Amino acid sequence: MDKKSNQKMDFEEKYLTRTQLILRAFFKHRLGVIALVVLVLLYTLALFADFFAPYDPIDQSLKHTYCPPTEVHRTYKGEKTKAYVLPIISFVDKLTYQRSFREMLFPRRLVIEKADGSQAVYEIGADGVENFKFMITSTEQIKIAGEWKTVKRTPKTTEYFLFGYNEDTLTKGEFVNITQSAVAREMYFKKYKDKYNLQREQEIESVLVKDVLDTIIVKRNGKFEMLKGKVIDYDYKTYPVKWFVKSWTGKLFWIFPMNIHLYGVENPDNNPYVRFYIMGSDLYGRDVWSRIVFASRISLSIGIIGMAITFVLALFFGGISGYYGGLIDEGLMRFAEIIMSVPSFYLLIMLRAMLPLDLPSTEIYILLVFILSFIGWAGTSRVIRGMVLSIRQREFVEAAVAIGLPNRTVLWKHVLPNTATYLIVAATLRIPGYILGEAGLSYLGLGIREPSASWGLMLAQAQDVYVMTKAPWLLIPGVFIFVTVLAFNFVGDAIRDALDPRSLG
Amino acid sequence: MIFTIMYAAPGDFLDQYRIDPSVSPELLKALEREYGLDKSPVIQYLSWLKGLFKGSLGYSFTYRRPVSELIWERVAATLILSSISLAASWILGILLGIFSALKKYSFADKLLTTIAFGFIAIPSFFLGLLLLYFAAKTGWFPVSGMKSVQYASFTTWQRFKDISWHLILPATALGLGSFAGLMRYMRGSLLDVLNEDYVVFARAKGMPERVVIYKHALRNAINPMITFLGYSISGLLGGALFIENVFGWPGMGRLIYQALLQQDMYLVMASGLISALMLVAGNLIADILLALVDPRVRFS
Repeated sequence: MDKKSNQKMDFEEKYLTRTQLILRAFFKHRLGVIALVVLVLLYTLALFADFFAPYDPIDQSLKHTYCPPTEVHRTYKGEKTKAYVLPIISFVDKLTYQRSFREMLFPRRLVIEKADGSQAVYEIGADGVENFKFMITSTEQIKIAGEWKTVKRTPKTTEYFLFGYNEDTLTKGEFVNITQSAVAREMYFKKYKDKYNLQREQEIESVLVKDVLDTIIVKRNGKFEMLKGKVIDYDYKTYPVKWFVKSWTGKLFWIFPMNIHLYGVENPDNNPYVRFYIMGSDLYGRDVWSRIVFASRISLSIGIIGMAITFVLALFFGGISGYYGGLIDEGLMRFAEIIMSVPSFYLLIMLRAMLPLDLPSTEIYILLVFILSFIGWAGTSRVIRGMVLSIRQREFVEAAVAIGLPNRTVLWKHVLPNTATYLIVAATLRIPGYILGEAGLSYLGLGIREPSASWGLMLAQAQDVYVMTKAPWLLIPGVFIFVTVLAFNFVGDAIRDALDPRSLG
Repeated sequence: MIFTIMYAAPGDFLDQYRIDPSVSPELLKALEREYGLDKSPVIQYLSWLKGLFKGSLGYSFTYRRPVSELIWERVAATLILSSISLAASWILGILLGIFSALKKYSFADKLLTTIAFGFIAIPSFFLGLLLLYFAAKTGWFPVSGMKSVQYASFTTWQRFKDISWHLILPATALGLGSFAGLMRYMRGSLLDVLNEDYVVFARAKGMPERVVIYKHALRNAINPMITFLGYSISGLLGGALFIENVFGWPGMGRLIYQALLQQDMYLVMASGLISALMLVAGNLIADILLALVDPRVRFS
């Protein structure tokens, strides 16, 4: 067995090409392979952002400020159904003044028992029924010395009820909300202390709001029917969650219009309360996931482009100063040292501060790339200079010079290609620095600006402790930065091991 | 030794030139009348330099106070924060680095390596935000600032307790970020040394393992770390920018950041000067330490 595998190894060493050997060494590195897969996924996400984002990243929905991730329901009235979501509203309790997100009950079908005992079925879409409205009488009462006193009676009209709150108005005909909360007592004390001659807030023992369903208005063929009676059965509107849904029109690869998206919610009656947020929403009710997807374009590309520019600069300056030496070398390297001696993030901020802040996002993007590469250039350039210095002494370079090749050709065709191994490894290990640099600048408000998205900028929304505790999902972009940087580090490690001649055997 | 210092210094000297001409054109128009900035940048710079010899660092535009006052206030705050986290991360980093190098490929080593990779990849401000979230959820730590509101009425002991309490989270966030890198670095450096011939030889001589490691290997492995320490010291004042921002710590990083945004020229220049001084000081300390640890440096 051992002998066989040894033979196999010998065989592979002899007959596999260098590329095959390198690939083999790379695939031995399990973490590296996993990280590579993660990176490929992330870049796919960025490339096909318009397909993966269910919403336009700048599409606001001010009804849904800091909306938590939408709950996907799989049961309807106790029975299993296809996945759906419910409309959701940011709702303030009239008594306690607490804000919370509640799912809304929009009736779709009603079975009403009228006063004479007859039953009638109304369903939106059938028999010309267009919509339902409900007239409700709301009674406010306060309890003083064990006695309920009605202080106010208001009629109102609504189209929906809230689950877990006043759905009883529909199902049972009335809904009672009793509270002893200090806020409610204070409010009612202020309003009615003169009328009932109250001295202290504590005299109001509790406060109550009672909603009674009065009349159901059915709009049928453009006419309104007023119905009195009891609702004995009902169905409510659900909005199915589906794969490959048609919604907003994005631009695939920035060119081709496309309105199919990986997933989404079907919203045939354009209900503005229906939003499907898998990762919650931000201050403007924008979908965090869609923004993450679009932000990945900026955050992921800045690393690669910045790195490419850095390496062109570094190859150019490092190559020249290593090859020609002398005064050019002195000058360039001193300049590189000056750049290196300043803590890099300071330099970054200083450079950024020198340039105007209020630029459009695309210009800022280009600016960031150049600033980041300007800083990264020095270190790489010094390493390349060192390598060029040693490669220059080798025989093949001397031979190239001897046959009369011009300096430029020797440098670009013979010397610099030999630094490729180092460059590839350094490149993958350097990219995270650019991603972090961009994220940092954007976080500080010096980088990409609203309404464009970058991961750092999105995190900046979570700076406020109050916001952060209320909407922890705003921290998710940080996880993406973390995963990306980690993946690049692992892949870089794996490549380094794979390119190391010792690991090829 | 002096050579290194000479080397490092001109870098920041030029820095100020770089900031000076580029900042003034934008500022000139608005502040000309107010601050008499109509002179050429070179003259401005020279006059600032003249003031510097007299011990004045200039006058901050935005705070309308002498720069030196402002800076000393902030330097203290930053130094408390970053020196504590520096000390903690170095002690922890070096100890765990040694530990994981000696227990190479064991479970503990792998665990530590994974943790280190994680902390290297996490952006410092995100780590800060996570800790902040933790603080806000549990309520165990204050979420922002350096002092409580009642600070003025505290006794000395209470003041000390108050500041340390505020310090824990930012220092942790700052320390964890650098600790991981240090640990990896220490591990790599010690592993390199352990493969050297003289370690093999020392073992072959039959020396006890403890002596081999702590006398032969470690003293050589720690050399590159000390150069690294020099860099860390020079970054003491500026390195905490993000953490200071996240935790609202009134330190230098935030001061400089705001000064840059508001283009408060003299403030920026003074901070540049101080960071240059720190750089020189950092290199000096590193050189002295290196000389203490490594006899080769002392004799050459």
